[in-house]
Amino acid sequence: MLLLFSLATFVALVLQTMLPRLLPLGILVPDFVLILAVDLGMRHPRALTALMAFAMGYAVDALSGVNLGLNALLLTIVFVFAYWFSRMLISTSAAIGVMAVFFGVIVSDLGNSLISSGLAGGHRLNALMPAVLIQAAVTALLTPAVFYLTGWAARTVGLRIDGASR
Amino acid sequence: MVLTTGLLLLLALHLLANGVAPQARVNKPSLVLMDAVKPLLEVESQMADDASGFLHNYFALVEVREENLRLKQQLAQLEAQQRRMAELEAENHHLANLLDLREALGMTAIAANVIGEDATGLSRTLMLSEGDRQGLQRGMAVISVDGVVGKLIAVSHEAARVLLISDHNSALDALDERSRARGIVSGIVEDGLVMKYVDRSEDIRPGDTIVTSGLDGIFPRGLLVGTVAHISREGPGLFLNVEVKAAVDSRQLEQVMVLTTRQPAPPVQANG
Repeated sequence: MLLLFSLATFVALVLQTMLPRLLPLGILVPDFVLILAVDLGMRHPRALTALMAFAMGYAVDALSGVNLGLNALLLTIVFVFAYWFSRMLISTSAAIGVMAVFFGVIVSDLGNSLISSGLAGGHRLNALMPAVLIQAAVTALLTPAVFYLTGWAARTVGLRIDGASR
Repeated sequence: MVLTTGLLLLLALHLLANGVAPQARVNKPSLVLMDAVKPLLEVESQMADDASGFLHNYFALVEVREENLRLKQQLAQLEAQQRRMAELEAENHHLANLLDLREALGMTAIAANVIGEDATGLSRTLMLSEGDRQGLQRGMAVISVDGVVGKLIAVSHEAARVLLISDHNSALDALDERSRARGIVSGIVEDGLVMKYVDRSEDIRPGDTIVTSGLDGIFPRGLLVGTVAHISREGPGLFLNVEVKAAVDSRQLEQVMVLTTRQPAPPVQANG
């Protein structure tokens, strides 16, 4: 499982760093790593996978921003949020995943902007919100496909998926 | 039966032995037959010609098709080669410009390719193809032929990351080339550059060129940062709100130059 998600994170990071060079997407590049963190939180909630979510955030930190640990923190929060959200709604379906990813991107982006600018950029968040919402929507729309791919890959390598889509 | 056959054979031998004159009566049926057969033969001949032509054309077409495919492949190869050559020419031109810039600055520098962007899109960083094996170090200035790009914030063995001046965590000491008004150029969350801490009494106008002051010890003096886009004197603050249009479009960057010689901060001159 960890190996599978490590590989998926690597692919996601390559995509996220390459896509902006190929397409003028800016902030609108889907946050694939966040989808993976939500997937872990909803369908594979264990201590080890929480650590995996942290490691994924750390990997994002290596390729983004100036504050090492910021994305590690935010992705761990998203992991916990996804776990809590799915347990609250008693479902791990793709629809719940879409909602969790949508809110997760908003939390992650706003947290990223606020923390990295030392709360000084708070007054500029209203300018950033449209782009954040669009990125959240784009990422949320891709969630079922990513869930399907990770589920398919897990089944292919013979892994059991806890709480598969009900 | 045997008799009839024998007679016919004899007739034939007779005709052969004595020859048949063109106007001979025995020749007439053959001529009629010839006339009767002629149209059929013509049609048949035409059909044969057509068939032959069709087959010939078919084979010719097959050849033409093959040749066409071959020529298309050649054309595609030549076009790809042409594009590659154009790209190489542009890259060569760009590298030559970078080399000129390096010579003009009189500093040692390393050229690097831009290979990736920020993984989240929220920060403004770029990934470079060179690392500490090539002599890069954290904090080095990164420039392009158009002006200042940023500084290195992380360097691995084979790659490095640049914090662009348009990132909200970035700051560089700059001045107005015309009025010499000083300020700190920084990025903002949404996008773009602002020049902070410019005194309200300073003479600064839209269109003015903003260059590095060299006082931060990172960027050499006089490198282009951008031009003043908008000035706002509203509000009660002590400083002007100066928006700067960056000289470098980071989305278009392909090669950059990393200055490996640190710029020493100029000595502070005591007034009076």
